[in-house]
Amino acid sequence: MAANYWASTQRRHWLFTREKLAEVRERLRERDKVTHSQFPLPDQRLLNIYFNQQLIKLGKRMSTRQQAIATAQVYLKRFYTKNEIRQTNPYLVLTTAFYLACKMEECPQHIRFVVGEARGLYPEFITPDVAKLGECEFALISEMSSQLIVHHPYRTLSELQTELPLSSDEVALAWSVINDHYLTDLPLLHPPHIIAIMAIIVAVVFKPSHPGNFGNSAQSALAGAMRDGGGMGMLAALSDKPGSGPPRIQKLVQWLAESEIDIKAVIECTQELLSLYEVWEQYSEKHCKELIGRMVKSKNLDK
Amino acid sequence: MALSPFASRSPSMTVASPNSALRLKAAASHHVPGQAAAAKPESKPERELTEQLNDDVRRKYIKGALEATAPQGTIEFSLRLTDRIGKKLGEGTYAIVYLGHFRDDPSSCVAIKKIKVNAEYKDGLTMDAIREVKYLQELSHRNVIALHDVFSSKDQNLNLVLEFLPGGDLEMLIKDGDIHYGVGDVKAWMGMLARGVWFCHENFVLHRDIKPNNLLIAADGEVKLADFGLARSFADPYLNMTHQVITRWYRPPELLFGAKQYSGAVDVWSMGMVFAELLLRVPLLAGMSDLDQISKICEAFGTPTEENWPGVTQLANYVADKAVPVQGRDFFLRQFPTAGPVGADLLMSMCVLDPRKRATALQVLQHKWWTTEPRPTKNEDLPRKSGTKKMGDDLARRGGETDDGPFKNAARQLDFGAMK
Repeated sequence: MAANYWASTQRRHWLFTREKLAEVRERLRERDKVTHSQFPLPDQRLLNIYFNQQLIKLGKRMSTRQQAIATAQVYLKRFYTKNEIRQTNPYLVLTTAFYLACKMEECPQHIRFVVGEARGLYPEFITPDVAKLGECEFALISEMSSQLIVHHPYRTLSELQTELPLSSDEVALAWSVINDHYLTDLPLLHPPHIIAIMAIIVAVVFKPSHPGNFGNSAQSALAGAMRDGGGMGMLAALSDKPGSGPPRIQKLVQWLAESEIDIKAVIECTQELLSLYEVWEQYSEKHCKELIGRMVKSKNLDK
Repeated sequence: MALSPFASRSPSMTVASPNSALRLKAAASHHVPGQAAAAKPESKPERELTEQLNDDVRRKYIKGALEATAPQGTIEFSLRLTDRIGKKLGEGTYAIVYLGHFRDDPSSCVAIKKIKVNAEYKDGLTMDAIREVKYLQELSHRNVIALHDVFSSKDQNLNLVLEFLPGGDLEMLIKDGDIHYGVGDVKAWMGMLARGVWFCHENFVLHRDIKPNNLLIAADGEVKLADFGLARSFADPYLNMTHQVITRWYRPPELLFGAKQYSGAVDVWSMGMVFAELLLRVPLLAGMSDLDQISKICEAFGTPTEENWPGVTQLANYVADKAVPVQGRDFFLRQFPTAGPVGADLLMSMCVLDPRKRATALQVLQHKWWTTEPRPTKNEDLPRKSGTKKMGDDLARRGGETDDGPFKNAARQLDFGAMK
């Protein structure tokens, strides 16, 4: 964390409305309709899942912090609001986003090491020439107008942990929910504190009966519970009639009411997460890999 | 604009050669600038928008060195305003600084810092450049140098458009024997420094290279904190940071002892050293090596021990040769008579050995010295020096680097290793 979110470039330049974001993407599509029909790609969220897995693989041997992975994901999103993915080599872009994010989050890795790792994973798509990555880094920075600081919801979560208070299971689940939100457009649509609150509510309301290790993603733990819909009703009740539901949740609702947080936005985020978990069922790593590989190869984007 | 992550295209679709770019721009030169980008060929529509954005930024400024690649209009314009344009303000290992100005207002000067990128991109952008851009993009305060814009030029260099500060720096004023200044002036300068540092800390940023030649002076006399090449955000609790920061003479004892977790107190110590130097007009503790610096600190303020600084002996590089008792108030009164008793108190609070007991930037600002007579000098009455050469040199220097260069490596060592 650095600087003040309210005065940040993130809030001023990288927060979109849903309509605006759709418009930006539509414009990119309009500009190159042929390529679009020629190279269909999976749903954006499925692609995001794929990219996220690649970033985690990349970071594995470097014991990278979760926050750097999160920053890299936000960089990818920002970059692809300005550039059509079909004009790029996504493997190079994601490796570069990873490299730059590590520098930004104060856990820098040497460029040769990063390129080495990436080549180990995608020998067909990454050239051994480190200059390529350096060049791409430059492009990434330019496209993001050198606005590099990303504010994440993790800190809000840890600050609220003692205030609410939250159990360690709840924090762990909320943390995984935050990890998952990077697979959606939410980081471009809502400020980090809204996301953090959403994650907390989801963790408290949908707490699965068998607590344990949620791993990196909350998907398996939550998808079922959220689909059952019991909690969704409770959530809808948050905005109009506080005072119902179990005491633990009542307390949270009261705190929310006093905090004057934008409940509507929180609910919208919850729904976005729910639909992510639904889409997730269709995810196939093989499918993503094939489509991207075909696109990069036939357009010679890997050179 | 960099084309890097994109496929290599047929030559007609790229902007590779400056010549073809120039021709395009020349053809469009009778249009208003906004239309120039629209006149580019249809064949590369996907680049149009972003390039145009970058061009819009670049077009706002004029810099001589850009001539080779700049839009046609720029060259004509800059020829008319010959001698002021594109003047090289300074050059360092890390960047070249040019004088420039806003296109629509030739009287408003800016400094354009062109970061030297290794021609082959061997190692990516340095952490220094990244840090500078990262923080200056977010910090906006009267006492922090302003970053107006960033743009990339065709030869793939990063250009930072910075506030132009023609007044030199505090080091020049300290060293210049022809300039006489008094306590009121020191109070004004220190006040501006303290506000800038407080603002950084309030925004969770450590500067980590505070020293007189990083404190630049604006045309109106305002002091601005510059060179964020070593800055970083406060680390999350228990995460380590490197101790190889801050130019040695201004480096606090905890860093010399190798502390990996530290706070804004490191900047406050540096501020204290600047304060002392302003009063004495020579650096207070000019150590020849890190070890020498530690013994100079011990001689001046006392030897750090478990009694005056619980936990200090656990620090990795802790050494203590001779035991000097911690200096009391008398020492500061005797050593810095010009500051007056209240000023000596303030300085003493900034030079406490134990960083936990050292004043914070906020406490410095709340000190009663500021409201004690004499009042701080008004900006317009502050002693000043003209000349633009210096700003360029200051900006071009790499973080942690000094004129004679013994600390050159401090910045480099930051990059890898120690921070995990």
